[in-house]
Amino acid sequence: MRPESVGPGGPEGASRPVRRDGAAAVELDDNVALYDDVGQLLIMLNASAAVIWECCDGTTTLDDMVRELTAAHPDDAAVIGEDVRQTVRKLVELGLVVDAEG
Amino acid sequence: MGIEREWVHRTRNLSALSYRFAVRTDDVSVGRQIDAALGGLRDHLNTASVEHWYSLTAADEPGGPVDVERDGEVLARRQQSGDALGWVVWDVNRAAAAEAGADHLLFHSGAVEAGGTGILLPGASGSGKSTLTAGLVRAGLCYLTDELAALSMASGRLLPYPKPITVKPGSFAVLSDLGPDSGPAPGSRPWAGQEWQVPVGEGTGRAIGAPCVPGFVIVPRHEARAETTLTPLSDTQAFFALAVNAVNLVAHGSAGTRALGRLARGCRCFSLSFSDLDEACRLVLELVTADTAGAPAASAAPGLAGCAS
Repeated sequence: MRPESVGPGGPEGASRPVRRDGAAAVELDDNVALYDDVGQLLIMLNASAAVIWECCDGTTTLDDMVRELTAAHPDDAAVIGEDVRQTVRKLVELGLVVDAEG
Repeated sequence: MGIEREWVHRTRNLSALSYRFAVRTDDVSVGRQIDAALGGLRDHLNTASVEHWYSLTAADEPGGPVDVERDGEVLARRQQSGDALGWVVWDVNRAAAAEAGADHLLFHSGAVEAGGTGILLPGASGSGKSTLTAGLVRAGLCYLTDELAALSMASGRLLPYPKPITVKPGSFAVLSDLGPDSGPAPGSRPWAGQEWQVPVGEGTGRAIGAPCVPGFVIVPRHEARAETTLTPLSDTQAFFALAVNAVNLVAHGSAGTRALGRLARGCRCFSLSFSDLDEACRLVLELVTADTAGAPAASAAPGLAGCAS
């Protein structure tokens, strides 16, 4: 993700995060284990973070993710927006996600 | 020019995964103990060249304390014979992990085989994995290792690393029939060491298993006075248990992570909390008997298909 897309308020709604090459993802139950060869980091994503990870395909915007997840989980609409932003911000900090070019 | 030392005994060529070595000593009695304890690592074809030499020499006079060297480097001085052997086993373990790490995903884990199916018993030191491994082998399962399980990255199979089973003092009582003085080789001196190194393989009644695909992951946790229970693990829990006991996950990176995932998803995974070794073994045997009863193999424990080898 470009630095300007991740300001103090987190990633912008129009940004299109994409999973970086070199991170191995292993699906386990509803969770996903990620291993980053570059950072030599193994992390476990819970079910909701795993869904966000899957959405990081380089074409889906942050706003799209929030809309899709809100539609699927209307009871959690109040917190989904912030959850998505925080999760993507963390994935960017870990170097597992970047912003799609162009 | 130095004085040539007289070696009165040397082992056959030995192999610990891909680490080739042999042991020589100037004490016949120590030599017999080494032959018995390391018999499981014997290279039966005796074709591999010896790349490393361990030397056990009397510090003062035969029958007394022993100095331990590897390739001329001192590992320990003035050890009781059993402890000297323990130093060799410790160093071989370290070297085997270093040499096999490139091609294998290694785990702090015991491992046994039943009817061609591998059972991983991952756990940190003190978890009871060696004790459980010894109990299962005593019950008739085939031994792969009690300390360092090697999963081939190429074949996905567990490989035997049949070092002697290391039994610590806390387990002497429940494994007393495996004690080194329960059947010493003729001419051997009484065992002198803080841990037992229980021989495996030919002539010991403790068979060595063949390379096999793992079918079970059982995570032992010894707890005094705990009820002995076997509890299913989710894929995620099993993955974690394997990951924290993987010795060289970083070296294998993404490929290793995927291999862990295949293990966690492909095996039946359980945690085993135990205070009673016999009951723990009974639970494990019941579990694997149901899955391996149809496998063609010689009989091991009653009702259980035996080793594939």
